[in-house]
Amino acid sequence: MADERRRRILKQLVPDGATEPKRLCDVCAEVVGVTGAGIMLMAGGVPRGSVCTTNEVSLLVEELQYALGEGPCVDAYNLNEPVLEPDLAAPSVPRWLAFTQPAVEAGVRAIFGFPLQVGAVRLGALNLYCDSPGSLSGERHADALAMADIAAQAVLVLQAKAPPGELAAALETGSDFQWVVHQAAGMVSVQLGVSVALALVRLRAHAFGNNRSLREVAQDVVGRRLRFDAQSGEKDPRP
Amino acid sequence: MLRVAKRTRGRDGAGRGMAVPREMILARTFVELADSLVADFDVVDLLTMLAERCVELFDVTEAGIMLASADGDLRVIASSSEAMRVLELFELQSHEGPCLDCYRTKHAVLNQDLDTIGGRWPAFSVEAIAAGFHSVHALPLRLRDTTIGALNLFRQDRGTMGQSDIDAAQALADAATITILQHRAVIETNIVNNQMQLALTSRVLIEQAKGILTERSGVEMDQAFAALRSYARSHNQRLADVATALIDGTLDASTLRPHSPSTAR
Repeated sequence: MADERRRRILKQLVPDGATEPKRLCDVCAEVVGVTGAGIMLMAGGVPRGSVCTTNEVSLLVEELQYALGEGPCVDAYNLNEPVLEPDLAAPSVPRWLAFTQPAVEAGVRAIFGFPLQVGAVRLGALNLYCDSPGSLSGERHADALAMADIAAQAVLVLQAKAPPGELAAALETGSDFQWVVHQAAGMVSVQLGVSVALALVRLRAHAFGNNRSLREVAQDVVGRRLRFDAQSGEKDPRP
Repeated sequence: MLRVAKRTRGRDGAGRGMAVPREMILARTFVELADSLVADFDVVDLLTMLAERCVELFDVTEAGIMLASADGDLRVIASSSEAMRVLELFELQSHEGPCLDCYRTKHAVLNQDLDTIGGRWPAFSVEAIAAGFHSVHALPLRLRDTTIGALNLFRQDRGTMGQSDIDAAQALADAATITILQHRAVIETNIVNNQMQLALTSRVLIEQAKGILTERSGVEMDQAFAALRSYARSHNQRLADVATALIDGTLDASTLRPHSPSTAR
């Protein structure tokens, strides 16, 4: 019974009537019985940040999608339906060419993306991963759908407390929107004399080419340990 | 004084020729009440349809619906006739009547014979009788703990309303309530989501502008932000607009003059 399922999850989620982003993700993983979970917010069709992640691997799963623009959450959001990969290491149909290898190396064996949606409003996607291959059973699939529904509402409830034009304090402090990446994009745009959008592409290319996370590269730029040069490409300004 | 026109109605449809069976109208009404997804959904249209169907389906002369506004005050939203609307407005102005009692108590007010219960609503009873009504009913628009208004059903005749009519009318009121609550939730959701998307986009622009300013002026991020904010304040502009101008080059970084640590102190 769908109502019963919702009530059970809500009870688990808000024993004291309060929801914080981290708790939301922990409950997602518990309820569906997966290794890790994360909630990814999208705006304008691109990943904007992570409301929460349960562990390092689910954080990586989100960062990869953030940097590469591909993966189960991006697809779930764009296709507006669950995207299921029960065997990421040996998929029946290969997809996410850049995303797959680093995710598998980090220990992801099965991965599932569920759109976060309230009515016609799409917010992002719920990402769930397992450290062993296997499909979500009917019951767990139903739990994941109910959980995605509740998570979407919870994000909106959090945001509903914010003053107009601002992010809710709980999202601002509890979530990770990788602001440093945008700061770095601004800096690189000046260094290269290109648009901010192009600077972001260069940052992504550098991260991918050097097998580093976009966040690390951005932190180096903001920390002035890495400069982009219009003539000779990237260089390390340290002596 | 507006008086209701005397209506004759045949519950078997005899008064309307060989009309559509009542059950068919009832079923169709349920479907129509449940549909909040039409592009031009309008609460007033929905409730006007409900009022008209109540008159058509049940042994009542007129029907009207009041909804509570955000501050909890009832407003007349739909009525099956102008006489009904005027009487409902009077009910609100005189702060007494079946609809108000129903909304306050969250329970149905049934089979009130105006000629014998004058003491309950002295002013309303006089007005309602003058308008041609003799018995009144009100059903709550309620979902679980939330009561959003009430459905008034007024009759020219004395006597009681059948239980099956009451049950069916309450079921229609329930369907309308769910639809209205759903519609409100959709509107609320859209507003909150739009604000979140806007806040996210604004923040991205501001962080990018901080990066530009940092690189151009050699200051730290927090000083870049302070410079953006003080420029926005002194020029009475939104922070995101200043950031956008900086990003697209219409505003030069040098005009913001952020203070580096060495010059600040």
